[in-house]
Amino acid sequence: MTTSKVTAHSSAVAGGGRSADLDLVERCRRGELGAFEELYRAHSGRLYSLASRMLGNPADAEDQLQEIFLSAHRKLESFRGDSALGTWLYRLAMNQLLDYVRSRAARAGQLTDGLDDASLLADAGGHKLADRAIDRIDLERAVAELPEGCRAAFLLHDVEGLEHREVSEVLGIAEGTSKSQVHKARLRLRGLLRR
Amino acid sequence: MACQQYLNSVHELVDGTIGAIRRAELEQHLDGCDACRALVSDLQRIRDAAGALPEMRPPDRVWLQIAGRLRQEGRITTAAEPERTRHSYVAWLAIAAALVIAAGGAVMLLIPRPTTPSQSAAPAAQNSGAPVRSVETVQNEVDAAQQQFEKAISELEKVAKANQQALDPGTSATIEKNLGIIDQAIAENRAAVKSEPASVAARETLFDALRQKVSLLQDTIALINEMRKGNNAAAAQLVNKS
Repeated sequence: MTTSKVTAHSSAVAGGGRSADLDLVERCRRGELGAFEELYRAHSGRLYSLASRMLGNPADAEDQLQEIFLSAHRKLESFRGDSALGTWLYRLAMNQLLDYVRSRAARAGQLTDGLDDASLLADAGGHKLADRAIDRIDLERAVAELPEGCRAAFLLHDVEGLEHREVSEVLGIAEGTSKSQVHKARLRLRGLLRR
Repeated sequence: MACQQYLNSVHELVDGTIGAIRRAELEQHLDGCDACRALVSDLQRIRDAAGALPEMRPPDRVWLQIAGRLRQEGRITTAAEPERTRHSYVAWLAIAAALVIAAGGAVMLLIPRPTTPSQSAAPAAQNSGAPVRSVETVQNEVDAAQQQFEKAISELEKVAKANQQALDPGTSATIEKNLGIIDQAIAENRAAVKSEPASVAARETLFDALRQKVSLLQDTIALINEMRKGNNAAAAQLVNKS
């Protein structure tokens, strides 16, 4: 099993894992703008990608990215180094994004539907995908149609490269649930991409 | 139809977490089941395509807004700010001087009769072998750099406003919105510099914001020029960049 992108990235950027994360956070806590910019530059790309794909809208993603980092700055005191800084940021970001997606859906009067077994079986059966390469735009559009729970797990695991253990930590769910959500997402994407 | 009793094994195979015994059972099944073989192939392709989706880069203005808000909320201290060499101010002066010339060049794209580019550019930057300068001299250089930026912005704004009717309303509205966001960041950073005149980071953030505005105005003028020439492909690239 390969190392998760998140922990590998944190270690590479910070040059030494948890102690480097703690040093950087300590400098941010002291009010060093340069330190916080270092943290921003190291993590903003992945968090912006996550936000764009969760929200399906770059303008909303920009606004939420700003809120995520401002919230991170306010909550720096709560970072203890129990998890990698990247995982901590993902958790903070995903809480923010899921709250936003759910409140947006509630305002629009949309129910959050799960994926029922019958439709998943249909996605599992039938014809295979066309032999040509999966178009990136088609995949992005299909991901945007997933229910937010599955979408979140799929983005974290298959797109961002987190292990199921990390996904469960970020989303506050059991590891088995993370696997189940990712599997459902893949089946649904297969159904959507065959259209 | 794929076989439901093998679905979990299929997913584990795609994840690379399947144990040896279940792998052997599944592989034996896959030898004789086209539907499950197709499912494995498709799920693997979806997973691979997802892993290959590119990382997106947020626009520079997001960091400017974050830095501005942190300053407004008083969460940034002046102590232990990262040291900058005095040469960075000289570099900003050189960039600002080049921008004034570039502003004149951008104007020439849109004005029919020849116009001499601005001769008001500051002298070229000194090299790294220059003697150490006093704090007051550095302060004067920083103020001069800021004035050059603001002069470049003023000239570019005049040209852009005078010719903005060449843009479609949607593009024009987007550019106005982006300029509004940058202007807000500039105003916040100016207030920060005013309250902390000795702060190096405050000035660096202000210069970043001023540079962003110049860049956006230059792109706007270039877009107007491309649209006037009927070069829609180049115009589309500039729109996507903004």
